[in-house]
Amino acid sequence: MNKRGQQEIVGFVLIVVLVVVGLMVFLIMSLRDSPEAVESLEVENMLDALMKHTTECAIVYEPAYDDFEALFKSCHQIDQCSNLEKSACGYLNESLLSVVDAMMESEAAVSYYQVDFLVKDDIGEEGKLRISGGNCTGSVSAAQRSIVSGSDSLVIRMKVCSVLA
Amino acid sequence: MRKIGQMKIQQMAFMIMAVFLFFILVGLFFIGIQFKDVRGTAAQLQKDQAISSLRVIADMPELNYDSSETMTVDEDKLVVMSSNFSGAYNVFWPVASVGVYKIYPAFDSVKKCPGLGCNFYDIYDSGQSNVKTYSTYVSICKRVREEGSAFDRCEVGKLVVGVKINE
Repeated sequence: MNKRGQQEIVGFVLIVVLVVVGLMVFLIMSLRDSPEAVESLEVENMLDALMKHTTECAIVYEPAYDDFEALFKSCHQIDQCSNLEKSACGYLNESLLSVVDAMMESEAAVSYYQVDFLVKDDIGEEGKLRISGGNCTGSVSAAQRSIVSGSDSLVIRMKVCSVLA
Repeated sequence: MRKIGQMKIQQMAFMIMAVFLFFILVGLFFIGIQFKDVRGTAAQLQKDQAISSLRVIADMPELNYDSSETMTVDEDKLVVMSSNFSGAYNVFWPVASVGVYKIYPAFDSVKKCPGLGCNFYDIYDSGQSNVKTYSTYVSICKRVREEGSAFDRCEVGKLVVGVKINE
């Protein structure tokens, strides 16, 4: 009778061990499945080309037009586009959306894009602007660029979801 | 008594088989995940390698705008290279085709440059079939003069290179 009880306990322990192993496998699977942004050369080039794009906003005089990199700084410094009679941030919002939209239209595989404009300090990052479009499916690629504006550090981060690898 | 013994052996055999199958399934699952990651990484590396090769083409003096900047092409050079002059360069390009698109403003149809409202510079096309294209973003820059001052105007562009696939 005692031996039979021991056998039952061994069987029970075996089943518990099997269930734990199974659960661990599923846990690893679910952790791996969460899409993590991978640094990508493709998105880096995308962001580089975007930052060099000359806008129509001239802060001081025409034709000293800002490129997007300078426009991010101008927005952070709360400047005005003297030729357009608009705030740099307002113009940045609309022009960035139209340029990034055009870029993504030329990419059939892109299902989602997101561009974040953040101000970094000792405490952390504060979001100033975000533009996005689509629904994220497939692999996630990202790239970021840091710009120094006065004593502050600005971060431009681009995230792209692609259906095809 | 003998029947109970047989039952016990049968029970144990089924249990061993179940455990064996369970571990095989877990193993297959794990191997599948591992190989999926390897395939993804290989594809990403191949893509990065192709983009690095495109960088070499974009940074050639025949296209490059400023030697201190990478991935920046000169629009004036594009105009020259996409005109009849490009015939002289037929043996120069190490690829099957080279083209540059202007991405912004967005367009519905491709209009070859030079021309009004054009958006595509066809620099070289060997006419080969069975070509795989790789593309990456570049800046298309031009020195322009406005209101008495000269400045660099850059636009977002896309360099598209065709590579012959060997069967």
